[in-house]
Amino acid sequence: MKPEFELFDRRGFFGALTKTAAILGLAGGAAAKAKGEGTPNPFAYDVSRFQKTDPKLITYAEAARWPIPHKEARRLAIGPDDQLYVCAGNYINRLSATGQHGLEIALSGPACCVAVAADGAIFAGLRDHVEVFDAKGSRLARWESPEPKTWFTGLAAGEKDVFAADAGKLVVLRYDRTGKITGRIGRKDADRNVPGFIVPSPFLDVLIHRDGLLRVNNPGRHQVEAYTFDGDLEASWGKPSAAIDGFCGCCNPIAITALSDGRVVTCEKGLPRVKIYTAAGEFESVVAGVESFPENAHACTDLNDCIHGGIDAAVGSDGRIYVLDIVTSDVRVMKRKG
Amino acid sequence: MDAKPPEDSAVTRRQFLRNGARLLAMTGLGVAAGGLATRSTGAATVWQIDPAKCLRCGNCATKCVLEQSAVKCVHAYAVCGYCQLCTGFFAPEPNALTTAAENQLCPTGAIKRTYVEDPYYQYSIDEQLCIGCAKCVEGCNRFGNGSLFLQIRHDRCLNCNECAISRTCPGDAFRRVPVDHPYLLKTTSR
Repeated sequence: MKPEFELFDRRGFFGALTKTAAILGLAGGAAAKAKGEGTPNPFAYDVSRFQKTDPKLITYAEAARWPIPHKEARRLAIGPDDQLYVCAGNYINRLSATGQHGLEIALSGPACCVAVAADGAIFAGLRDHVEVFDAKGSRLARWESPEPKTWFTGLAAGEKDVFAADAGKLVVLRYDRTGKITGRIGRKDADRNVPGFIVPSPFLDVLIHRDGLLRVNNPGRHQVEAYTFDGDLEASWGKPSAAIDGFCGCCNPIAITALSDGRVVTCEKGLPRVKIYTAAGEFESVVAGVESFPENAHACTDLNDCIHGGIDAAVGSDGRIYVLDIVTSDVRVMKRKG
Repeated sequence: MDAKPPEDSAVTRRQFLRNGARLLAMTGLGVAAGGLATRSTGAATVWQIDPAKCLRCGNCATKCVLEQSAVKCVHAYAVCGYCQLCTGFFAPEPNALTTAAENQLCPTGAIKRTYVEDPYYQYSIDEQLCIGCAKCVEGCNRFGNGSLFLQIRHDRCLNCNECAISRTCPGDAFRRVPVDHPYLLKTTSR
């Protein structure tokens, strides 16, 4: 007997169910399409024209690539006998000129920077202090933070002095080899015509140039500045530009080093690239362009800031340039072409 | 003329009207219950964008049901570097670091640049002009500290049961948050 009240019979119910499933399937497909493929972003931030380097400008080629033993790499430095010192995580690792792993030094916290003196002494910059080791890795001293908010991001070791770039306090501290602070370099001082460092993200670097002056990057001003050891500003160069001859983004270069003839090697983030400038600041050539660092370039688009990207470089006695990719945690050995 | 339906008819006129009335009543009840459920959910949670997942795809500017999107760029001043060359403000290759329209990145000129002291500038968002396109967010994140990011502004969001932008968000950055903590703000990383 048929019931008196019936909205759907069995056949109708299954028919309606099939139609509903079909409609939902179509809608789901459309939604997935809109989500995954969609139309091109009309508001895209387009820097694609800066991501390809004119091959004529690239004067170096990658000769080798060495993985480093720890993640969260920050800086590298060259020591005696062209041994490479890489700081990553809570460690400093020594690599031979052929990439063989050697000494490993455990630190009391994450390493931010490293420098090695000609006598083999190793200086490790942690965020708020410097740890000193001999060439065998034995701890010699710990130089405490002179001020709150210190954030060491660059070190340079000379015969009598050690310079520590403090991105937190916007100054380069001059230490003697006993750890005593003997000077402060780069603080804004109108009387000495020192403009002051602008460091929006923690990348302040320092190097001792063969001309006897320091070189310090001033990323917020897109400049490289030359200072005497006593803090007098002697020269500066650099211009903001995403083009190959300038320094891109808000704050570059992030790292500097120098070739034996005095030319300066610069590293940038955002558009990761390593370039060479004459000692006077004229753009000369490219060591590695954005194409060489796809993961690094991507790091600044996926994450929510670019302080996790970046590269560093050091120069060997034979002119090879060692480039540390912070994102892929490897060292590229760049050799001059021809 | 015989008004009586034939014997083999599946549904009589009376049955049809009765079933129709019942269906209408049930539909109305369902709509009322659904509305209540939606309202109670809306009171507890609201939509928000997780800045850590946002891919700056541009959908927030075009997919919102409002004529002008409820998504706006907001600025974490504690994270900002106050850069002279702000890559959220300036186009990738500006002619000069001035506020001339051709140098600006924002398609609606919604970012205001104010001199603080050499060489620092403050950047603020005019929400009346901001369309939530995230172009500035991409520029800031790609090169800078990422102090610019998108948030749904709850003074205009309708809190739709199914947010039209969230359906197309490629980063799955939209999620429900408690109404008493309706924003997912960035804090300083330094």
